[in-house]
Amino acid sequence: MKTLLNIDNGKKVKILKISGGKGIRQHLQCLGIHIGDIVTIKKSSFLGGPVLLEVNGYDVALGKGVASRIEVEEVE
Amino acid sequence: MRIAFVGQPNAGKSTIFNGLAGYKTITANFPGQTVHYTVSKVTVGDETFEIVDLPGIYSLTAIDKAELESRKYILSGQTDVVVNVIDASTLSRSLELTLQLTELQVPMVICLNMIDEARRKGMEIDLNKLSKIFGVPVIETVANKGIGLDKIFISAKEAHYKRLIPKIQSFHKDIEEKIEEIEKIIPKENFLKIPKRYIAVKLLEGDEELTEEIKKYPEVLNKVREIREEIKSSHGRHTDTVISSERHALTMNIFEAVTKIGEPLKSTREKIDDLLTNRYLGYPLLFLILFGIFFVVFEIGKLIEDPLISIFDSFIQQLPGIVKEDSLTFFILKGLLEGFSGGLGVAIPYLIPFFIGLTILEDIGYLPRMAFLMDTLMHRIGLHGKSVLPFIISYGCNVPGVMATRILESPRDRFITATLSVLIPCAARTTVIFGLVGAYIGGIAAAGLYIFNLFVIMILGAILTKFIPEIRPGLIMEIPPLRIPTFKNVLMKTWLRLKDFILVAWPLLIISSIILSFLEYFKIDAMINLAFSPLVSWILGLPEQTGLTLLFGILRKELSMIMLFQAMDTTDLSKVMTNTQLIIFTIFTIFYIPCIGTIGALIRELGTKKTLIVSILTILLAIILSLIIRILLSIFG
Repeated sequence: MKTLLNIDNGKKVKILKISGGKGIRQHLQCLGIHIGDIVTIKKSSFLGGPVLLEVNGYDVALGKGVASRIEVEEVE
Repeated sequence: MRIAFVGQPNAGKSTIFNGLAGYKTITANFPGQTVHYTVSKVTVGDETFEIVDLPGIYSLTAIDKAELESRKYILSGQTDVVVNVIDASTLSRSLELTLQLTELQVPMVICLNMIDEARRKGMEIDLNKLSKIFGVPVIETVANKGIGLDKIFISAKEAHYKRLIPKIQSFHKDIEEKIEEIEKIIPKENFLKIPKRYIAVKLLEGDEELTEEIKKYPEVLNKVREIREEIKSSHGRHTDTVISSERHALTMNIFEAVTKIGEPLKSTREKIDDLLTNRYLGYPLLFLILFGIFFVVFEIGKLIEDPLISIFDSFIQQLPGIVKEDSLTFFILKGLLEGFSGGLGVAIPYLIPFFIGLTILEDIGYLPRMAFLMDTLMHRIGLHGKSVLPFIISYGCNVPGVMATRILESPRDRFITATLSVLIPCAARTTVIFGLVGAYIGGIAAAGLYIFNLFVIMILGAILTKFIPEIRPGLIMEIPPLRIPTFKNVLMKTWLRLKDFILVAWPLLIISSIILSFLEYFKIDAMINLAFSPLVSWILGLPEQTGLTLLFGILRKELSMIMLFQAMDTTDLSKVMTNTQLIIFTIFTIFYIPCIGTIGALIRELGTKKTLIVSILTILLAIILSLIIRILLSIFG
C-alpha cells in the first residue's frame, strides 16, 4: 500500500485511508483533508522531511509521521 | 451591540479588527497568530459597537488551546452578531466552519476577505447566491488594503435588527433522524443558551468537553453511545468521520453552486515560493535571510547608537560642574540620565530595525515556510516545525514567544518549546550581546555567542526529549500563500511592539537605575554584592560589583548591562574587565532565570510548578555553562 511518503513531486493522489487516532483524523478534517479527496504533491518528503500538499487550492504541510499514516493511490 | 469576528486561522480577522479599531492586535501571515482575544469599542455615527477579535479556529471542535478559547467565547452567548471572516481563496474549506456556526443560531454576517487573492486563483464567487443559501448578508473585503471594511458595520446592524439568523443546512435524512433523536433527550436545565442541534451534533462527533458534561446524565450518554454505534455499523466508519464527510459534501455542494473557477494567474509568487522551500536552496536562503537581518540590525543599530551615547556621556561628564558631586541630587540625576540613555541609546537603536525585519518576515509569510524547512531538524530535538514560530518570536521578546506556544497541540510540546524559548536571546539580551561582546570584542564573537546559544538549545532539547518522549505524530500545518506586506501595516506593527518597550520597559530601566544610585549613595550595594560574591567572584570570576547588576537583570535583562557601566563607574568597560569576563557576564545574562515579564507569561501558560522548574533549570544551566566557558577560555584564550 502506498502512503503519501512514496509519491513523487507533482503527482495527483486520492486519499484512501487515514490510520491513527481521532486526534489526527479531526485535525486533518479541519484542514479540509478527507478520505476520497484528491490532492497534489507539491514537495515530496526529502531526508525525512515534511510533505507539502495542495488541497483545493491551498497548501498544507504534513510531517513525516502524519504522512506515513495516510494511504493513497495515484490518479490520472 | 457586540460583534465577534470568527474565522479560520489566517483568514484576516485581526487585520479587519485593526482596520476598524485602530492598531490593537498583532497580525501575521502565520496560522494561529492571535492567541488571546482583544476587545475594542468603536463608535460609528451614534452607535457604539464592541468588537471582539478571537483566535482563529478551523472548526468548533477545538484542537489546540487557542481554539478552545474562541469556542468558549462563542458559546458563552455574549455576542449579538457573529462576523464569519473567510479567506475567500480557501472558500471550500472555510465553509465547514460556517456550517457549524449556523448551528449556534446567532445573527451572522459572512465576510469574504482576500477576495483579490481568490480572483488571482481564478475564482469568481456569486455573493447573492451565497447570501440566499444562508439567509444572511455576504460582503467582500480586502482587509490589508482597507477595501470594503465600511460595509461590515452596516451589514452587522442589518443582521442584528432584522435578526438574520443563518439557515441550517441539512445532512442526509438518516443522519438528521439520529440528530433529532438526541435533541429530544438533551436535558433542558443545563444547556439553556446553546441550541440543541449543536449539542446533538457535537455529541455525535464525540466532542470531549460536551461528552464530559453529559456524563451527569448516564441515560443520555448511553443513548448517544448507542446511536454512535448504529451509525458506525451502518456506514462502516467512525461517527465523527461520517459527520465530517457529510459536512464536507455539503460545503462542496455549496462551493460548486456559488463559485466559477477560471484560469488561475500564474504568478511569480509561485516561483519565489518554490525557491524558498526548495530542498537544497531553501536552507542557504534561510541562513542568508536570518544572517542578513542580524547584520542589518547590528549595522543600523551601531550607526544610531554611537552618536546618541556620546551626547549622553558628555551630559553626565558635565554633571559635576552643575550639581555638587557626592550629593544625593547628583546621584539621582546621574541614575536618571543613565537609565534614560540606556533605553534611548542602547535598546531602541537595535529594537526598531529588528522589529521591522521580524514584521516583514511575518507579513510575507516566511515563518510557516521556515517551519516547513526546519521540521526535520526540530524532530531531532523532539519537536516539530510549528515550534519554530515561538522560537523566532522569542528573538524579539520571550513574552509573546512563550504565549505563541499555544499554537502547539500537546502540553508536552508546549512545555519543551516554552522552556527552550526562554533561552533564546531576546532583543534585551541582544543589546547586551552587541553592547558588551560586540562593541568590545567584535562582531564575530557576538555571532559566535548566537551559534553557541543555538547549540545549547539543541542539546537541551535532545535531553528533554529523552525524559519526555514524543507521542504526537508531528506537523500538520497550513502554509498560507506569500503576501506582499503593506508599508502601513509594517510601521504600525513595529510601533505597537515598540510601544510596549517604551511604556513598560523604559520606565523600569530609569527607576531601577535611580534605585541603584540610591543604593550606591547609602552604600547598601556593597552589602548585596558581598552576599553574592561566592557565586560572582569564585564561580564566575567576575568583579564583585557585578553581583547587584545581575540581580537587577531579572527585571529586564538589558538592565544588567546598563547598570554595569554605572556599577563599574566607567563608560569604557574594557579598562576594568577582561574579554573573558565580558564573555562570561554575557553568557550568564543570556541563560540565567528569565526576566519578570517572561516568568509571568510562563506562569500563565505552564503553571507555577513548571515555571519554578524552568527557573531553577535555567539558573543551573547558566552557572554550568559559564563555568565550562571560563575553563575553556583560560586554557585556549
